[in-house]
Amino acid sequence: MSPAEPRVRLEGISHRFGSDWALRDISLDIAPSELLTLLGPSGCGKTTLLRIVAGFERPTEGRVLIDGEDVTSLPANRRPTNLVFQRPTLFPHLDVFANVAFGLQVARVGRGEQRERVTEALALVRLEGFEKRRSHELSGGQMQRVALARALVNRPAVLLLDEPLSALDLKIRLEMEVELRRVHRETGATFVYVTHDQREAMALSDRLVVMDHGRVDQVGTPTEVYRCPASVFAAQFVGNANVLPVEVVESGQGDALLRLGGHTRRIHYQDAATGPAWLVLRPEAVRVSGAFGANGTSDSMPGVVRDAAYRGTGFSYRIELSELDAHVKAETRGTVGHEVDQPVSVDWDSDACWLLPRKETEMVPPAPTAIEEAERPKEETKG
Amino acid sequence: MSAARRSPITGAFTVAGLIFLWAPLLLVFLFSLHSTGSLTFPFEGFSTRWYDEVFSSEEIRSAAENSLIVATSTALVTLVLGTLAAYGLTRSTSRLRAPLSLLFFLPVTLPGLFIGVALLVSFSRVQFSLSLLTVTIAHLVYVFPFFFLVARAALERLDPALEETAADLGASRATVFRRVTLPQVWPVLVGAACLSFALSFDEFVITFFVIGPDSTLPMYIWSSLRRTIDPSINAISSLLLAFTMLLFVVTWLLTVWSERRRRGRGLAEDPLVLTGAREETA
Repeated sequence: MSPAEPRVRLEGISHRFGSDWALRDISLDIAPSELLTLLGPSGCGKTTLLRIVAGFERPTEGRVLIDGEDVTSLPANRRPTNLVFQRPTLFPHLDVFANVAFGLQVARVGRGEQRERVTEALALVRLEGFEKRRSHELSGGQMQRVALARALVNRPAVLLLDEPLSALDLKIRLEMEVELRRVHRETGATFVYVTHDQREAMALSDRLVVMDHGRVDQVGTPTEVYRCPASVFAAQFVGNANVLPVEVVESGQGDALLRLGGHTRRIHYQDAATGPAWLVLRPEAVRVSGAFGANGTSDSMPGVVRDAAYRGTGFSYRIELSELDAHVKAETRGTVGHEVDQPVSVDWDSDACWLLPRKETEMVPPAPTAIEEAERPKEETKG
Repeated sequence: MSAARRSPITGAFTVAGLIFLWAPLLLVFLFSLHSTGSLTFPFEGFSTRWYDEVFSSEEIRSAAENSLIVATSTALVTLVLGTLAAYGLTRSTSRLRAPLSLLFFLPVTLPGLFIGVALLVSFSRVQFSLSLLTVTIAHLVYVFPFFFLVARAALERLDPALEETAADLGASRATVFRRVTLPQVWPVLVGAACLSFALSFDEFVITFFVIGPDSTLPMYIWSSLRRTIDPSINAISSLLLAFTMLLFVVTWLLTVWSERRRRGRGLAEDPLVLTGAREETA
């Protein structure tokens, strides 16, 4: 991170609801002008963490610092933060102008400046001319843009966004992502964004914070997290991944020898630890070719196509590895596909491997139940 | 119980029910316009003489004034206290919230007779002399739970996220209440205050116990009925009825208006607004 003072510093934040720990010892620095995403499944504590930064929850332990100042005991209305909620919370008795001007009025900003800043904020979210509308005259996307303008008009030190797009249709969501990136670029404000949608997180963020069960699993740029996940959970939650049990037999200078079932395979890898490991393989790194029997290339493995779907840019497969009692997902490019039940040979890019430590006895990666849960639209509303 | 075809028996019952409810009221109104002093048929012609009598009577005027004073004070005090109680209890996170709320509205079930006797005993215990003040206090006890129920329902329907949003935008608790909560619920609160006014204005049983030397309109009607059957009673009753009904209509209109304003009109056209509305009621 930059050597400059962080905009937000979280020091050892823990939070408890009753006897349940929602957050355990979270420390994090957020740089000025950064767009940081808290990513995790439902119930991982990301919304609670955001509410602690906003001042709606007081952490059981730990401190929140904004621009070096300890704000842990300040209530929400006295913090230089603004929050955009999951669903648009426009004041129904006020028109768009009055909604956006609310924070300025409360802060007793002069009328002339109010008008100027509201106009500017509405222009930023491309809603010029909507000043007199009421919330019921706006679409969902427009409402969220008003909410965004209403928060940004106060020039908060940090803008907090709690799944602001999750209530919108996919098409509007994609448009709004582009808008958010533009607004972030144009304002240079610090954004902390909460989502359970890994695609959205990767598309928007400078850095991701992958959270699981109230703890930080990994912090890194989208590329880092995607290529070098810190855990099986991160590997499966961020993007699609095959996680296969392997044995690192030999580790040399820049390469390693893996045993996968009865198969051995040399990959490019720095400093692999010998012993049991999980091999993380992204579906697009898996290559599928027509079966040439057992005398294909020595590195490829025989398999049978169990499911195939056309994606437009190529095909998605689910392939049973005949020797291994395991399945791999593959995403290929091109227009010629393989049929279901057709034997194929499976190979992979030896540069695209990532190894994670595995216990000797574990043969099946942890079930991705948490991930399925996260696909459900409703985030936990605890607290 | 879907009535695919309307049965004539159902229709007859409906008509009978309506007659049962409304005929006495209509009779009172009809005879308030009777040209003679007779309270029975045959009806001999229309006149407004009983109304003239009512408006020229000093005694009635003073009773009506007392009723207005008591009902207005009751409504205003209930408006303030009831709103505070309902707001406090809907926003509280205390474990006592549910039992306290119950204690506030349970007096709805108390019979007027009981409230009257209990208050009379209490007032005489502390040697508080009976006056319009004791009547007002008694009416507060009687009316408060009704107001509380309506106000609590309205405040509970509000989206708490709106208040959080206002706080997040820098508003203190008082500002949040003044600028976000109140503007959304005031029509319902004013409507409930009208209801309180109406309840107090024609209250008789409790008033009877705690009134002392003064008189209110219902008290006047009762005492004059004890003396003679004076046809001007019909005129007062009709006026009282009209006034009370007007207040109920105002209450109803305010509630409907506030509901419509809250929901907006373009509701059905925008599925996203609908989703929002659905979450709000969930």
